[in-house]
Amino acid sequence: MSGGEIVAGFIAPHPPHLVYGENPPQNEPRSQGGWEQLRWAYEKVRESIDELKPDVLLVHSPHWNTQLGHHFLGVPRLQGKSVDPIFPNLFRYTYDLNVDVELAQLACKYAREEGLVSKLMTNPRFRVDYGTITSLHLARPQWDIPVVGLSANNSPYYLTTEEGFAEMDLLGKATRKAIIESGRRAVLLCSATMSHRHFQEEPETPEDMSQEHPYSMEMYQWDMRLIKMMRDGEMSEVHKLLPEFVDIAFAEFKAGSFTWMCAAMEYPELPGELLGFGNVIGTGNAVFKWDLTKHGLATPADRWNGATSTTVPQPAFTPSATAPSGGSSGSVFSGDGPSIGARPLNS
Amino acid sequence: MSLVAAYLVPGNPLPYLRPENPPWAGIASACRAAGRSLSAARPDTILVYSTQWMAVLDQLWQMRRSFDDLHVDENWYEYGDLEYQITCDTELAAACVEGSKEIGISSKGVDYEKFPIDTGTIVANGFMNPGGRIPLTIGSNNLYHSFDDTVRLAEMAVDKANRMGRRVAILGIGGMSGSIFRHEIDITTDGIATAEDDEWNRKMLARIQQGGSVSELGAFAQEYAKAAKADMGFKHFGWVLGGLGRNISGAQIHAYGATYGSGAAVIEFRT
Repeated sequence: MSGGEIVAGFIAPHPPHLVYGENPPQNEPRSQGGWEQLRWAYEKVRESIDELKPDVLLVHSPHWNTQLGHHFLGVPRLQGKSVDPIFPNLFRYTYDLNVDVELAQLACKYAREEGLVSKLMTNPRFRVDYGTITSLHLARPQWDIPVVGLSANNSPYYLTTEEGFAEMDLLGKATRKAIIESGRRAVLLCSATMSHRHFQEEPETPEDMSQEHPYSMEMYQWDMRLIKMMRDGEMSEVHKLLPEFVDIAFAEFKAGSFTWMCAAMEYPELPGELLGFGNVIGTGNAVFKWDLTKHGLATPADRWNGATSTTVPQPAFTPSATAPSGGSSGSVFSGDGPSIGARPLNS
Repeated sequence: MSLVAAYLVPGNPLPYLRPENPPWAGIASACRAAGRSLSAARPDTILVYSTQWMAVLDQLWQMRRSFDDLHVDENWYEYGDLEYQITCDTELAAACVEGSKEIGISSKGVDYEKFPIDTGTIVANGFMNPGGRIPLTIGSNNLYHSFDDTVRLAEMAVDKANRMGRRVAILGIGGMSGSIFRHEIDITTDGIATAEDDEWNRKMLARIQQGGSVSELGAFAQEYAKAAKADMGFKHFGWVLGGLGRNISGAQIHAYGATYGSGAAVIEFRT
């Protein structure tokens, strides 16, 4: 198969507060709302995804932080309960997601060909990180579109920011090749916050919006500077400024999600559509859309009869074939990693 | 003095999941030896600080009574699952929440089913306290806390334990030099990533063996942490130092080695 397309990319930040504010049935804690402007922005993301009719959502999450290489979720179905270690009071979410393993395998293969260490995560009990889950829930709460989850290698932290971004550029290129070869219509989600300096104490009522404001005037001004450039389509200038922005604003873009997304879209010098902006415990969060179908760079859904079938590719799993995730029942995954001779686990 | 034992051990799961791998075997057997020593000391509670339980709001303390679950490490999942049983001394944890506030550090307890206990705590508990026989009091690593904050938190925790009549052991969980190999290696050939890291690790271990006060060791530890990119600023050592009353009178290095290039040591402190 070939002829797949990236139809859009979104900046889709993942503060768990937004899920908490929405009160979906999957999340245990209940709220009185809050962070409406950002949640309304995500309503527009949801409408866009309805219109774009993608086969797959790809999300690059800073909260799956890997030290050795770039990793891809590679299990057909992952289920479990994700409790945010930072905000356990806000996010205790029961998830059940389907992975497009075929596309993940291709992306992993092409990442290796680009010279990156890359791995397919095949442990069926793996607990999906809350960044991935939050961005996906906010973008598509029905969970009816298969996903590909990518880890954030800590290269931008270990290397210089520029060297780290160079790796994310290669990862984006590999992702693009895989999507084209797979024949999928793909939407990319950059799961990241802009300015990331935040308050260190939480209000007694977390959704008390009278307590919410930018961390500082400087952080606000940096966010607005970048947002204006993105709205004006000055994307090459954005990328030039990114290391300085990361340095000053402690921006979560440091983890590489934004660079990965832009590289996969071939750095379109196009204005993004700002769907909303808001602060969460002081951090700056923008929800942005680059709809490539509107710029003639991808095929609109109503004209798509592309290289692949028009049906959503279903992951090759049957519920009975999947292992439960995150529980203590069932057999222990002994691992397919390197081993030294025959031996029992934890001997 | 209620403090009956003190240790610093690595939180990397590789020696636990592949203890037969020659470069990791020494670390694994040293952790088990430390576990036997811990058991012989008969603490009521182990005061645990792991660099891998990261927090950014407040100083968190684990308030759930027990965990019996399975964990998959986000990096080393291909080496297999980590089953664990942990019990917690929630009475002491509650006292530590209050104690943290008393020393000017905002704090709260966490008590949630399926809370993601970190790999480091799971591995150290598995090696040294299998089955969770001895209760733990677990404090988080707030990323914004300094080495000195960590010293003060441990000091406070031991003081609270003293007042409650507990015999406690103190356990700092984390690595030494932080650089790992960024390419796949033959794990049977693992070693410290660079000669400089190795040199700094050995210097730090020599200073720990020699002993000293917080002013001497703390300053050197921070210099070491910067030079060797030590795990989380080597704050887990600050935890042990604070627990020991800001003074180390000597230590035994049970093992020193590498975990995919990063440094790892198993240290038992004189109490």
